Amino acid sequence: MSEPILKIRNIESFYGPIMAIRGVSLDVHEGRVVSILGANGAGKTTLMKTISGVMDPEKGTITFDGNDIQGSEPHKVVQQGIVHVPEGREVFPLLTIDENLSLGAYTSSDKGQIEHDRELVFNYFPILKERRNQEAGTLSGGQQQMLAIGRGLMANPRIMLLDEPSLGLSPLLVQEIFTILKRLNEEQNMTMMLVEQNASAALNLAHDGYVMEVGRIVMDGTAEQLMASEDIQNFYLGVQEEGERENRRWKRKKTWR
Amino acid sequence: MDATTLPAQTVINGVSFNSTPGQRPVKVDGTQTIVSLFKKRCAELGDRTAHREKDFGIWKTYSWADYWTRAKWIGLALRKLGLQRGEVVSILSEDRKEWAYADLGIQCVGGIASGVYTTDSASQLAYLINDSDSRFLIVENEEQLDKYLQIEAQVPGLLNVIILEDEGLHDLDHARCMLIDDLYKIGQQAEKDEPTVFEAEIEKAQPQDIGLLIYTSGTTGMPKGAMLSQENVMAGIEAGAHRLPVEETDEQLCFLPLCHILERNVSIYFPLACKATVNFAESPETVFANLQEVSPATFVAVPRVWEKIYSQVLILTQDATPAGRAAFGMALKVGFERAEYLLNNKPVPAGVAAKFWLWDRLVLRNLRRMLGMDNMRRGGSGAAPISPELLKWYWAIGVPLLEGWGMTETSGLGSINTFEENKIGTIGKPVPGYEIRIADDGEIQTKGLNNFKGYWRNNEKTAETFTDDGWLRTGDIGEIDADGYLKITGRLKDIIITAGGKNITPAEIESRLKFSHYVSDAVIIGDRRKYLTSLIMIDQENVEKYAQDRKVPFSNFASLCAAQEIKDLIAEEVNAVNKEFARVEQIKDFRLIDVLLTAEDEELTATMKLKRSYVEKAHAHLIDDMY
Repeated sequence: MSEPILKIRNIESFYGPIMAIRGVSLDVHEGRVVSILGANGAGKTTLMKTISGVMDPEKGTITFDGNDIQGSEPHKVVQQGIVHVPEGREVFPLLTIDENLSLGAYTSSDKGQIEHDRELVFNYFPILKERRNQEAGTLSGGQQQMLAIGRGLMANPRIMLLDEPSLGLSPLLVQEIFTILKRLNEEQNMTMMLVEQNASAALNLAHDGYVMEVGRIVMDGTAEQLMASEDIQNFYLGVQEEGERENRRWKRKKTWR
Repeated sequence: MDATTLPAQTVINGVSFNSTPGQRPVKVDGTQTIVSLFKKRCAELGDRTAHREKDFGIWKTYSWADYWTRAKWIGLALRKLGLQRGEVVSILSEDRKEWAYADLGIQCVGGIASGVYTTDSASQLAYLINDSDSRFLIVENEEQLDKYLQIEAQVPGLLNVIILEDEGLHDLDHARCMLIDDLYKIGQQAEKDEPTVFEAEIEKAQPQDIGLLIYTSGTTGMPKGAMLSQENVMAGIEAGAHRLPVEETDEQLCFLPLCHILERNVSIYFPLACKATVNFAESPETVFANLQEVSPATFVAVPRVWEKIYSQVLILTQDATPAGRAAFGMALKVGFERAEYLLNNKPVPAGVAAKFWLWDRLVLRNLRRMLGMDNMRRGGSGAAPISPELLKWYWAIGVPLLEGWGMTETSGLGSINTFEENKIGTIGKPVPGYEIRIADDGEIQTKGLNNFKGYWRNNEKTAETFTDDGWLRTGDIGEIDADGYLKITGRLKDIIITAGGKNITPAEIESRLKFSHYVSDAVIIGDRRKYLTSLIMIDQENVEKYAQDRKVPFSNFASLCAAQEIKDLIAEEVNAVNKEFARVEQIKDFRLIDVLLTAEDEELTATMKLKRSYVEKAHAHLIDDMY
């Protein structure tokens, strides 16, 4: 396979004295969707923040398209083509959808490109076009998530970091958003790194996956390999092991093989 | 019994023992069986704390009186349900107070207690139940219960299963299963019906009665049940009291499996004599936190645990401030200087003692408090060889750590170092009253009251284990030096004969490898082969730290093992070990085991040692790759 577009090597990140990422190395190849799975507190969001420059790593390197970007200011990282769609959407509630989208294109001065991107967003999310002059705060959760993704697309990114796009959404909406993400990947060849709690949705969309636990990667492989793993099935996909009794409550220990 | 025929008595920490150890009758405070000692203690100590257990985050105390009544109810109830004297009850549970209650309760009514490791699979459980012909099975919780339910049809001889934790089992309706509270109720009723029968059963116990069955980990073939008599354990208690004195105010932490003779002695039988308080760790994962909370006076662990604590301190110091690091370095230097005197049984010069006092106040004392070792009078290490450097390091930080040796067949304690007689790198002198000799083929053989009674229903194996003149063949090879200290060099049956006809004891090379912080365990291969090779299991934590510090990228355990830098690191360790051995004994090649093994895996024993035969089978492809 070609050289990965995003290469993370031995990253360590801290919150004060607390080590949140304890040496993570991973690769994202162009055009692929890579999913990071893990329980609360595993360090998934911290990893995203470290890539997008919101946090600086204590150790390790992040190479994007051949350039080291670890410790860069967030706006420099965006200019390189990395866009972070944060957890919990974080749209500007008092600005209209149009204004929110324009802010997404803040780094660009090419008017034609901006309008082209806006059309692209409206193409994927027609509902945003319908409500383009409405304040973002009045949108539903699913629509806000669409807006957050659309705002990210406005920067014309080479890779999107999506932090829990399914958070707080109904199953139907999750399906809808993931279908759009799949189309974006297939039609625009958009590279994505996806952090998810909803493992089954994430693994259906992703090509590759990594599993994080307490700041470390414990397992990696293609999405098919991960889905076939007993550990993933039991602990992330909610498959109930065959037991002697109904109502079995204990789970066997994870082995990550 | 006529008091005038008693052997002369000596009092150790308030408990009387025979003045000459190793002689019949073995007496502890005037009693000759575990169960009568138990009865005496509970009556004397009553409301004093025997056990502590953490319940929803709070340490709760349980008295000797609780110990007595629960053991009584368990014993009487099992008897009521059909347990005959000389029949076996299996216990499948992590360490907890009920383990001790059941152990004593079973033995008081003449039953035999047999522990099963919680990491054993359902099929292993079936084998153990059938081999021991168990009448009852005590399981900890629903997870362990499910193992029984899987093999229910294969164990027709089992009368009942008793469950200790009812969580998740409220709707369980099974003819043979009952909760511990129901068992207690049966016991209470039985006590009402026949108030003196429990004491009468205790009176019936004879020193030669079998009290416990301990299945040996069985690195080859199926596990065998070693039978230990009441007298065997009493002899162990006697030896322990002479060599490992414990005071009645001492706190202990119980965390190694109670199925293993080491923890069973230290946490159940020795406290019957010495009256110390036993604290049960919440789970194997929380041992270090529990250690801090309990801060025990004596602490017995396997080398792996001592190694882990050391690694944690090492990692902490590496991440400390430069000033902190320097201070720790200075303190450690003085500590080593002092340890050198202590370990050679020489008085510490006043200057060194003063320096140590200062650094102890400034640094080491805090470190010990952080580790939960501030009250520790004595640490013990056994069940596997420990690195001499590691032993010295503990002495340097002010934790006196002594190495001992024993096996199931010697009732746990065979020889041990003491403060007065300590030689690092040896396993000390034989315990008092116990004889040890080296046979012509180098095998260590022992004689004394600690020697077990034989293997359960396996006369053939029992006969193989004893020599014609009645000495126990330990299967270990070793030597006794001029000062009388015993040293183990290998296992007899593990001897490798290379294609060149050279006899090699792999254990010696393996333990040298294990002394490396990066190697967790190793197996030497080479029987009937041209040269020696090794399969190595790396220490995950330390190697990950190494990789991280040197920017070696890795994602999971397999990729860590595959990294060239890690292979180079282990190669360096192997080369260092090779230098200490003759050419034919050198390791020509090695492979890393790239799966993270857990105690559930067949390749590991419950004390996390690699099992040679299983490892050779499971990783045959790696071995073939080297030849």
